[in-house]
Amino acid sequence: MNHRVLKLGVLATASVLALSACGGSSTPSSTDASAGESIDPADLTTTISILAPSYADSSEADWQTIIDEFHKTYPNVEVKLQIEGWDGFTEKVSARIQAGDYPDILNDNAFAGSADAGLLYDISDVMSPETIAAIEPSLLANGVGADGTQWAAPDIASARMLVYNTDLFKKAGITEAPKSWAELEDAAGKLVALGDGVVGYGMPLGEEEAQVESSLWLWGAGGTWVDGENLTATSPEAVEGFTEMRKLFEAGLTQPKLEDNRQDITNLMQAGTLGMMVGHSQVVVDSEAKGVNVALAPVPDKDGGDGVATGVTDFIVAFNNDDADRKAATGAFLDLMYSDAMYESWYKGTKLLPVTTSMIEKAKSEASTENEKGFLDALSIVKFLPVGNTAWDALQSALQGSAYKVGTEDPAELLAQIQAQVDAQG
Amino acid sequence: MSLNATAEAAIIRRPSRLREAATAVPWLLPSLILIAGVVLYPACLMVYTSFFKYTKQGIRKGDDPIGLDNYIGPAGALTFPGVPIGRILLNTVVWVVVVVLVTLVLSLLLAQFLNKPFRGRKLLRLFIIIPWACSVVMTATVFRYGLQENIGLFNRLLVDTGVLEVGRAWTKDPTSAFWIAVFVAIYVSLPFTTYTILAGLQSVPEDVLEAAHVDGATSPQRYLHIVLPLLRPAIATAALINIINVFNSLPILRLLQETPGYHTGHITTTLMYEYQRALGPGVSSALSVLNFLFCLVIIAIYLAAVRPTREVD
Repeated sequence: MNHRVLKLGVLATASVLALSACGGSSTPSSTDASAGESIDPADLTTTISILAPSYADSSEADWQTIIDEFHKTYPNVEVKLQIEGWDGFTEKVSARIQAGDYPDILNDNAFAGSADAGLLYDISDVMSPETIAAIEPSLLANGVGADGTQWAAPDIASARMLVYNTDLFKKAGITEAPKSWAELEDAAGKLVALGDGVVGYGMPLGEEEAQVESSLWLWGAGGTWVDGENLTATSPEAVEGFTEMRKLFEAGLTQPKLEDNRQDITNLMQAGTLGMMVGHSQVVVDSEAKGVNVALAPVPDKDGGDGVATGVTDFIVAFNNDDADRKAATGAFLDLMYSDAMYESWYKGTKLLPVTTSMIEKAKSEASTENEKGFLDALSIVKFLPVGNTAWDALQSALQGSAYKVGTEDPAELLAQIQAQVDAQG
Repeated sequence: MSLNATAEAAIIRRPSRLREAATAVPWLLPSLILIAGVVLYPACLMVYTSFFKYTKQGIRKGDDPIGLDNYIGPAGALTFPGVPIGRILLNTVVWVVVVVLVTLVLSLLLAQFLNKPFRGRKLLRLFIIIPWACSVVMTATVFRYGLQENIGLFNRLLVDTGVLEVGRAWTKDPTSAFWIAVFVAIYVSLPFTTYTILAGLQSVPEDVLEAAHVDGATSPQRYLHIVLPLLRPAIATAALINIINVFNSLPILRLLQETPGYHTGHITTTLMYEYQRALGPGVSSALSVLNFLFCLVIIAIYLAAVRPTREVD
């Protein structure tokens, strides 16, 4: 055990050194001239840093393509790229923020906390108006904070819809995708009756996906988390949604462990033993690659209305480093990134959906399968999680940590517990 | 010798001691700086941090300290709603006591066995040290995957041998995950403890044992009255290092528990990281401070009860 103690010591030394290094490097702040339009690209000499998650193996190369192109016009701007896995990405971001080493460009799935702390530029102040206008308005709206400021620009979207195994449906004699909760129960019951370990509906309430899954049931009951300025978890609709989730679990229509993550459920889908789940395009692609036939439908709601679909966007945010040159370079880089020529290959690398109007149209016209088209069409009807609200961080953590208990605890009590956790942080 | 002479000697010795200390300073300075840098500074920073409000991202809110809010406020370490804190404190004690006790008992047996001369003893000693040579994260990961519900090898073995009917999601139940973590923690603690005790056993003088044998002491008597007292320093070292190490052991529990949130399988050390992720560094530091005090208390109780430094009479 001595060698572990030693390792700890080395680690501590390293972190102390890192800390002191950060303390000393306060950036000399040049005057806050507004975005330097008059600067000649060839003269702009500065360094900007990018922190982005890895969507696919190609992510680093996809960013590098843009950086190389950027260097053609801005030869003296050094771009530092840091790519990290999604696993623990939030911790990486927190670590850089706590060290005062703000990345100029951050690609993340949340922005409210940093916006609230006053660390960000208004993104429409950094990017050109043309670039902002190129982004699909319904998606752009998702980057607006509670104070009405456009803190973030979406850079990639995904939609969650009901993905179902058509072969299992045929075998069970179900002709149409369920539209209401009653039909969903019915279909799941028939699927489970097939035996062979077939699961009717996959409900991932683990740390990764609980907020999305539970939001869908809440929306299906006609409710919303947003209550004026605040978020509330205890609305009657939320109780109704959670009651329905519990009902499915108790009837044995879901997988046995509700704390499963999305990947666990996707594995079942790929193995051909899962009837239905809510998933994004990657789930469809992966399942089809394994020879499982799947189709898409809106997620059923309580009474069999239009159904719901969840939209999830990731964002680009620009941190305020108090340096006009860096701001100008950041703006120029982002303008280039969202240009059709660069953006198309970049977003395709993520295997998710585009956010610029022109690329959505192009993707629709190129979509070769019904499933591809389905997700793109859904982009105009999707509902979004209230990511712009600062209380969402607390609510999301509470849902991620507790939503799976819906199988064993009273829904109203569970939601009150979740609300208590949110309130405590207020 | 007269009293005077002793006093005189002390007077003569004092300046030389001072000078000795002075000459030692340059040699000690690097260590002192290192201790200040890697032990004292982070510890003080931790206490300081625990009195401020931070956001989840670790951005400090407000410049004024908030008193004990991070400890017992509405979102405090001990009072955050939904955290089964009583159970978690109990778990912490159970974790330390069970792992250290079982490790010590098994190590005594193993060391006794390895101390016997037999063919292949060196090879066996080598095998026993292997769990220590592997990183704890690696060992815990092997168990985590082996215990997966559908694809885990351990589950497969249990199902194929008819022990279980279907595979169980061992790591998704807080209680079973906790006890599996206890098992793994014992497994990785054994080598160090065994070797420490083995070293102690080899220093037990052969002639004393022989003399006792000649005097007619039975082997249990010899073990209880001669070997065990002589082993006291070795056992004490092993137990103390184990207590500190097991108490702070994070990777095993973190890797083997797949239940999200504030479940009943946490110990305070894993809860600390849960807080850091969900509530930010303020609350997390507060729990760290409590953890630190808790660790001191356990060691104090141990020292008071066992008095390991007492010399053998």
